Amino acid sequence: MPFTHQEHFRQQVERILPTVAKPGRYVGGELNQTVKPWDAVQTHVALVFPDIYDLGQSNLGMALLYDLLNQRADVAAERAFAPWVDMEAAMRTAGIPLFSLENKRPLLDFEIVGVSLPYETLYTNFLNLLDLAGIPLYSEQRTIEHPLVIAGGQAVYNPEPVAPFVDAFAIGEGEEVLLEIVDAHQSWAESTQSRQDLLIRLAGIPGVYVPALVDVTYHPDGTIQSVHPRHPAVNLPVDKRILAKLPPPLSRFLVPNIEVVQERVSVEIMRGCTRGCRFCHAGMVNRPIRERPVPEILAALEAGLDQTGYEEISLLSLSSSDHSEIIALIDGLKSLLTERQVNITLPSLRIESFSEDLMDVLQSLSPGGGFTLAPEAGTERMRNIINKPLSDKELMSTVRSVFEHGWKTLKLYFMIGHPQETLSDVQAIAEVCQAVLQEGRRIAGGRARVHAGVSTFIPKPHTPFQWVPFEDTESIQTKITLLQDALRGSKVKLTWNDPQASLLEAWLSRGDRRLAAVIHRAWENGARFDAWGDQFQIEPWRAAFADSGLDPDFYSFRARDLDETLPWDHINAGVRKAFLVRDYRYSLAGKIRPDCRGQCYACGILSSFDELRLTGPDGGWKCP
Amino acid sequence: MSTETPISRIRVRYTKGESLRFTGHLDLQRLWERLLRRSGLPIRYTQGYHPRARLNLASALPLGFVSDDERLDFWMDESRPLEEILDQLRCSAPPGLEIQSVRMVDLGEDALQVRMKASEFVVAFYDPQDREVLMRKVNSLLAQEEIQHVRRKKVYDLRPLILNLEVITVPSGDTGLWMRLLAEPGATGRPDDLLEELGYPNTAYLIRRTQLILAEGNECTPP
Repeated sequence: MPFTHQEHFRQQVERILPTVAKPGRYVGGELNQTVKPWDAVQTHVALVFPDIYDLGQSNLGMALLYDLLNQRADVAAERAFAPWVDMEAAMRTAGIPLFSLENKRPLLDFEIVGVSLPYETLYTNFLNLLDLAGIPLYSEQRTIEHPLVIAGGQAVYNPEPVAPFVDAFAIGEGEEVLLEIVDAHQSWAESTQSRQDLLIRLAGIPGVYVPALVDVTYHPDGTIQSVHPRHPAVNLPVDKRILAKLPPPLSRFLVPNIEVVQERVSVEIMRGCTRGCRFCHAGMVNRPIRERPVPEILAALEAGLDQTGYEEISLLSLSSSDHSEIIALIDGLKSLLTERQVNITLPSLRIESFSEDLMDVLQSLSPGGGFTLAPEAGTERMRNIINKPLSDKELMSTVRSVFEHGWKTLKLYFMIGHPQETLSDVQAIAEVCQAVLQEGRRIAGGRARVHAGVSTFIPKPHTPFQWVPFEDTESIQTKITLLQDALRGSKVKLTWNDPQASLLEAWLSRGDRRLAAVIHRAWENGARFDAWGDQFQIEPWRAAFADSGLDPDFYSFRARDLDETLPWDHINAGVRKAFLVRDYRYSLAGKIRPDCRGQCYACGILSSFDELRLTGPDGGWKCP
Repeated sequence: MSTETPISRIRVRYTKGESLRFTGHLDLQRLWERLLRRSGLPIRYTQGYHPRARLNLASALPLGFVSDDERLDFWMDESRPLEEILDQLRCSAPPGLEIQSVRMVDLGEDALQVRMKASEFVVAFYDPQDREVLMRKVNSLLAQEEIQHVRRKKVYDLRPLILNLEVITVPSGDTGLWMRLLAEPGATGRPDDLLEELGYPNTAYLIRRTQLILAEGNECTPP
């Protein structure tokens, strides 16, 4: 029987699978996957998550867009992930290009390749996947024969470091704009226009940024001189897209046939956050707050459990305890959870905002688990600077309550390297941990455990700290050593981030377009899986900076002037620069700005989305 | 959560197809647990913080194999008509897993693993094989009194685990192999080890388990 080209391709793949670890990553075929006959749809979209299946398949954003696109009869969305190093080697040896899991099609067969970039350390994997797919790395090298490469996700609020590799960015929430991009592609495909015409069409869609149509010039010192459109279709700044009202949550989840990092029904109960922590990128760029109503959440959880058989549910948001109906929600969950013998995880609880009631219910629902709190800093002074105000007394009272409710393990998250941080602020982290452990032992006895997770502060774009330098690696190391010494023999378990990995993130998150050359070179030097502790190496990056003639310290350790044009200034995340400047000045004075649901500080979200707000639900996003 | 004795034990015969080839034994257990949860049947859970469905698989199928004959027991807290159970399981099965039949089993019967005796396998090669050459390889392997095979740095004698080994014509018309290997607790033969002894790497073939052979119980052996 003669093989078609496609059958031959499948068999080629099948034959290398027994030689690699966890081959189940590369076969698809899961419950609830959508496979459409290839020729039955007009537009094929490959949704790419540039890390392995185990991680990417757990990503809610991917799952959501997959579902949304596949609801359209004229579109097929298929998935592709990064092969692990062994599979990549086997694929390159056998000449197998990156392929989708559903129809096992090479990515070159798709009209659109949509890449999810939730964090910066995926950039080298992104390039590696383009290369493995046989797609030219640079937008300018692609022709009408190549797929349109689009990207979205939290990292692309500063799109510049990967701008030359992406044809069009979707800035902000993707649910609507992705469909508009597909529409634009379809009407372009029916025309006889050039690829440049497609880019121009896309640039006309609100929330779409086409870097090839925007020029950037630099001052001799490397700072930006000007950013200007190369075409009248381009409007700068590019306003992010948001939904006035969240649609009903996803309830159709794929059920992987192999173990992945998160296997549960996840429902986003709320988007946005009003707390205004100054270090927090997500809290700034995801404004305003939009809550999902309790009945909608419960219905989605129930449907999700019916469709998956999962034994765990998770409620997602930036600050779950801030949902105005959290008690009603948790109450509503009780019967669902006990009937079905299901566990719950509820991350992101604010220390000061949850009541005894909430703790009672949580303890009864999930008696075995640990409890997590994120004071972020050890002293009240420091917490005021970062605008996460919390008195030592409040902290200890919550800690007491947690242990009294029966939890035995408490995990505390802190950051070091905050602006204006001194060694005594760091010392205080150790003291807080010890005091917490002592309190735990007094209440819960010898089974009380305290874990301190310490990460490094990285200044992020669109936050009040976007101008401050990243702390130099030596001081970070000094602070880590201080904590290690202070907690040695104390039974507090301490974990911390590799300062070199944080440094990479610091370079990339506030990079400009010139950094693309560094990313490209680092990839050529062998960098990939930079988010993986056991794969990440700093040397390919240092060499790449040297080769590109750029100074890494310029990106990490330089304090920016308040009037400098920043590489992401032409992207409007909804929060005005004037607001950020004011908030930064407040931080220098140690002044806090409490939750903005009580008082509006004019961050800019309302002026940016004035008209949209009127179409939203009553209550206007909790903005006063 | 009931602490009383479960009231029924159900044995399922099912097949494991191509799309589940690379779902290993532990993952398959989790897959079954979820299948049972989706079915809405009154399944029996274990006690504790993280209740799991109580289930028991007859014999681990190595990664990369497909199978026509897998079996599993699960327990329920209430009884249900067998046709209803069959329907519910079929509706809840993921792609690649086909439910063949269900039957009721005595609560006191030995665990499936304990009753395992042997497994039969058919090997289809990706590339056409010369029948004569394959015959010679098979005969010379079977002529050995001892086959010292190294698996994960451990040496064991493969020969006593081989009950039958024959060259056959597989459904595609090509030359393949059929074998029956011992599968008792602590003495389970692996077809991929045997194929390695014949000189075939695991990229050269697809193995299908065609039948499980169990010790006599109150269960009819499938045709």
